[in-house]
Amino acid sequence: MENEKLEPSSKLRHLNKLRWLSLTIVFSMLIILLFVHLYQTYEAAHAYDLLTPTEKMISDTVETLTSPFVKDPEELSVIKGNTWSGTFFGLKISDPLSVLGQIFASLSFYWPFVLTALIPLIATLLLGRFYCGWICPATFIYELNDNLAAWLRKAGLPVSRRKLDRRIKYVVLAVGLVLSVYFGTVMFGSIYPPAIVGREIYYAIALGGFGAGAVFFLLTLLFDLMVSRRGFCRYVCPGGALYSLLGRYRLFRIKRNVATCNDCAKCNVVCQFGLDPLQDDFGMECNNCTACIAVCPTDALSFTVSMHDNKYQGPGHLGHKYRKENEG
Amino acid sequence: MKRRNFIKYLASTGLLGYVASGGVQAAFAPSVRYLRPPGSHDEAKFLSKCIRCGKCGESCPNRAIKFFSTENGITSLDTPFIIPREQACILCMKCGDVCPTGAIPKIEHEANAIMNDVQMGRARVDTHLCLSYQGKTCGVCYRACPLQDVAIRVGMLEQPHVLDKCVGCGLCERSCIQIPQAIRVIPEHKG
Repeated sequence: MENEKLEPSSKLRHLNKLRWLSLTIVFSMLIILLFVHLYQTYEAAHAYDLLTPTEKMISDTVETLTSPFVKDPEELSVIKGNTWSGTFFGLKISDPLSVLGQIFASLSFYWPFVLTALIPLIATLLLGRFYCGWICPATFIYELNDNLAAWLRKAGLPVSRRKLDRRIKYVVLAVGLVLSVYFGTVMFGSIYPPAIVGREIYYAIALGGFGAGAVFFLLTLLFDLMVSRRGFCRYVCPGGALYSLLGRYRLFRIKRNVATCNDCAKCNVVCQFGLDPLQDDFGMECNNCTACIAVCPTDALSFTVSMHDNKYQGPGHLGHKYRKENEG
Repeated sequence: MKRRNFIKYLASTGLLGYVASGGVQAAFAPSVRYLRPPGSHDEAKFLSKCIRCGKCGESCPNRAIKFFSTENGITSLDTPFIIPREQACILCMKCGDVCPTGAIPKIEHEANAIMNDVQMGRARVDTHLCLSYQGKTCGVCYRACPLQDVAIRVGMLEQPHVLDKCVGCGLCERSCIQIPQAIRVIPEHKG
């Protein structure tokens, strides 16, 4: 009976599965869209008989999968691009960082482009770094990389979990903007992991090989393993810096309910961003990944509508420390 | 460290950094002859607008658009380009349609709009290489041109003459049967 009572029942704990679904869909779309692109070029060439066996296989597969839905392969262009900038049924959506980069590189506002970042901008103002946790195709790989780190740890290999200064990423953002002005070119595209991942998948599938960005991305994976857990996202990523700033006064944030918290500290262990939910410290970095909600045995963590984090509310009321303090 | 020394130190490292970055720029100075996608002309303006999303390449049905690695300098890393001898632009104008940034302007897929707004480069004939100028009637470039008699016309023995309306798509260069090609597109951008 005791156990049954403790069994958590909040629906919010399933959000983490939903998030993985979202990440998986985004990542697989990046790959699928390029095979669709290849298929479109094969169709445009009107030369099915001249295709290589592999190309024929790609063409046949995509045709079988898409022909029930579209008559003309040209119609498949309604979804194009990647998370850095994409077209979704006529709606162009771009990463706010790309817009900021262009504003600084060209020192002008090109409104049709600035407006493409409007939807992500509003969403970020409301939800903070949700992009980092729910959409970013690099996060998909970084989280798997973090699982790898856990295995390596179990195998007895050293995996570093150093803590650096969170503010480094704001310096990266500022330096990137200054360099964009100096060189007159958008520098972020080359060091921003989601942009790199989208582009390198394209290069690998459609243009026959990875480019220079892939090397950089591998280095960031090594950085995460050898320097700090999810280090690149937390300390270097200029996009993360921008979203942190935009999400400073986000409306929806995860908070701890001190009355049901039992101080088990599982949330702190599971948080890949190294935040401190146990002490009510989520800050600007929280990417709403909801892993802490999913792991909490007493449903003490949940989303709330509020502009600020709570100050430390003291030990959880179901924990030993609180009981001792109040009984003694 | 005294304040004055510190300021000196700052100034000198700043200067050094500036010189070094200049050196890097010079070391990676453009050395490739390439075209930008149709509609974009001024190189500096193009670089300041392009965010390297790669959508132009993904929408190019002819797979003519490729992307720079570091061979054209770090400033044009991952930007689109066309080498017409490898695969030329067919002037479908889809890249301008999908480009969100205005780096490749939107231009209608229509002859007049293309002739007025597209200026990727201009073809130039090398009469020493061109077969028709050597007395062997060829005329392939003329037949490959999407703007026949407007951008290129042929004279005696199918000798090609490039006209002012040439937009520089490069289909002539792509089709030239001479090796090396006797007709080349000279890029318009100042890169």
